[in-house]
Amino acid sequence: MSSKHDILNALKSAAIAPQAMPVIKVSPRIDDLVGQFEASLNTVAGTLHREGGLAKLQEQVDQHIAQGMQIISMVDGIKGNREVTDTAHQLRDIDYAVIPGDLGVAENGAIWVNNKNLGHRVTPFICENLFLVLDSSTIVANMHQAASKLTLNSGQFGTFIAGPSKTADIEQALVVGAHGACSLNVYLV
Amino acid sequence: MSSSKSAVHAYKAEIFCKDESRVDWHSKALWMLREKRDRAAGSLPEWEQLRQIGSEMKLHTLTHLAEYLEEFEQNCLKNNIKVHWAKDGAEHNRIVHEILAKHQVKKLVKSKSMLTEECHMNPFLEQRGIEVIDTDLGERIIQLAGQPPSHIVVPAIHLKKEEVGDLFHDKLGTEAGASDPLYLTRAARAHLREQFLSADAAMTGVNMAIADKGAVVVCTNEGNADMGANLPKLQLHSMGIDKIVPNIDSAAVLLRTLARNATGQPITTYSSFYRGPQEGGEMHVIIVDNGRTDMLKDKILAESLKCIRCGGCLNTCPVYRRSGGYSYNYTIPGPIGIAVGAKIDDTNSIPWACTLCGSCSYVCPTKVPLDKIIHHHRRLKAEAGKLPYGKSSYMPLVGKFMASETALNCSMSIARTALKILPGSLLKPFSGAWGKYRELPVAPNSSFEAWFKKNRG
Repeated sequence: MSSKHDILNALKSAAIAPQAMPVIKVSPRIDDLVGQFEASLNTVAGTLHREGGLAKLQEQVDQHIAQGMQIISMVDGIKGNREVTDTAHQLRDIDYAVIPGDLGVAENGAIWVNNKNLGHRVTPFICENLFLVLDSSTIVANMHQAASKLTLNSGQFGTFIAGPSKTADIEQALVVGAHGACSLNVYLV
Repeated sequence: MSSSKSAVHAYKAEIFCKDESRVDWHSKALWMLREKRDRAAGSLPEWEQLRQIGSEMKLHTLTHLAEYLEEFEQNCLKNNIKVHWAKDGAEHNRIVHEILAKHQVKKLVKSKSMLTEECHMNPFLEQRGIEVIDTDLGERIIQLAGQPPSHIVVPAIHLKKEEVGDLFHDKLGTEAGASDPLYLTRAARAHLREQFLSADAAMTGVNMAIADKGAVVVCTNEGNADMGANLPKLQLHSMGIDKIVPNIDSAAVLLRTLARNATGQPITTYSSFYRGPQEGGEMHVIIVDNGRTDMLKDKILAESLKCIRCGGCLNTCPVYRRSGGYSYNYTIPGPIGIAVGAKIDDTNSIPWACTLCGSCSYVCPTKVPLDKIIHHHRRLKAEAGKLPYGKSSYMPLVGKFMASETALNCSMSIARTALKILPGSLLKPFSGAWGKYRELPVAPNSSFEAWFKKNRG
């Protein structure tokens, strides 16, 4: 007998009678979604740029390039100085990655990113710093709304990113910049 | 596991309590997490509704687990994810080793997984020549120190920054005496980056497995799971059968409560959904039972499988905070550790590492009735004739005694008189372990019964 068979068989002796699936209906907080999003993003150590859009971002990118930084852009209209590499490992020296976000979540500052826009899946994690570009009209109130709108097709990878990587594993002291990006700037368009 | 006296909870706790200032520091660090949790929970008007939905959704899933597991497997296969089933820890470890051996893996980077701790996977693989690198900062610290985790979310909570500094100086070559958390974290980042880039395979735990999509969700703050899983071409994910949720909507409910209840954050930095391997890569999911179907056979114990491993019950527990994660004789400490570990606790002591205050049940994001489960474990131990030493001899007597009104009234009257006229030094020994850190009570003038007759009768 296979282990799968044994496990499924053992489940037949479960003691609790079948319970119904609850209805998930939670009232969203819909006032000032962008303001809520900005406040949440601040609590997770990210920064929102409401004004200036892509032009302001390109200005930032150009300044970094002038300082010799390595920048890869996956956003149409933003030009970096690096292309998608052959292997994921070759991204190890990327200072800034510019990536499009699919939707933002007001209650927690998270942004859904799908791997179709990433080149290599590791791009938003391996870069030292991350720029996310977000269309303000895609901001939803909460995770319930985000769950019904996000795209995750067969074979895909997607992730909610809420701020730069962080840890408090040494004496509960918050340190921003653990293994993923050390900073996150979000540009609204 | 050891059945010797040295593994009994009270004995281990006593060792932990020897350094009083350290116990205070430990307790405060955890209480800080509890306070952050309270603020995060309090900021959502729908918090109690989310707990209720979380609880019902998990119960629904657990009572339809066979269907959801099969649905999950079928959908994984459609997404080019390979699925394995393991009845216990030994089978899990064997499967993992077979996959790694087939790909000639020399170095495995691993992100946090309490399941692989439960299966004792690291030593199994290391004995077979595979280097296992724990990549969560807290886990890496305790791995370098040769210790097990003392908490399920913050595994190195028992160590002070100076101790981490000394450890890193010794193992990673940081400056002697340096203990700044930022400096130490940056050193670990540099060290672990090299490990991610040179790993042959990655392994993660699973926070939720989505049945109707055939996808696994992994949550981290550090980004270590995603740095691992997205660099080498081989990724493995180990999950208990209890990690299944029906769909993304269900996962969203738990993603709202998990981090808020764990650390007070609105969500973890990364909540990653893997619905297939990277291009040219290979993805495996190992579904593990290891005692879970047994737990489901008991109505009360079954509810412990609603747990989403946020650690909230540890942070609030007055016993955990003041006895430390190493006193429970099980990989998972605290209230949830007792709930899922008491059955195999051969010291038969951990169900008593609890005051039954119920704080854990009130903070639990999926309403696991922890105090009820722990109380149930005491009954199970008694029924199995496994009451800890002492309790088995005097508890039946106490029971008979308290059932007799005459005997109880008479003895209470004697006790009140004794407390009034005899010196404490003479009476203290009769109170046993209870009196070790407590003063004897001040005796009231009369029994409650006499008072009631006089004033309300």
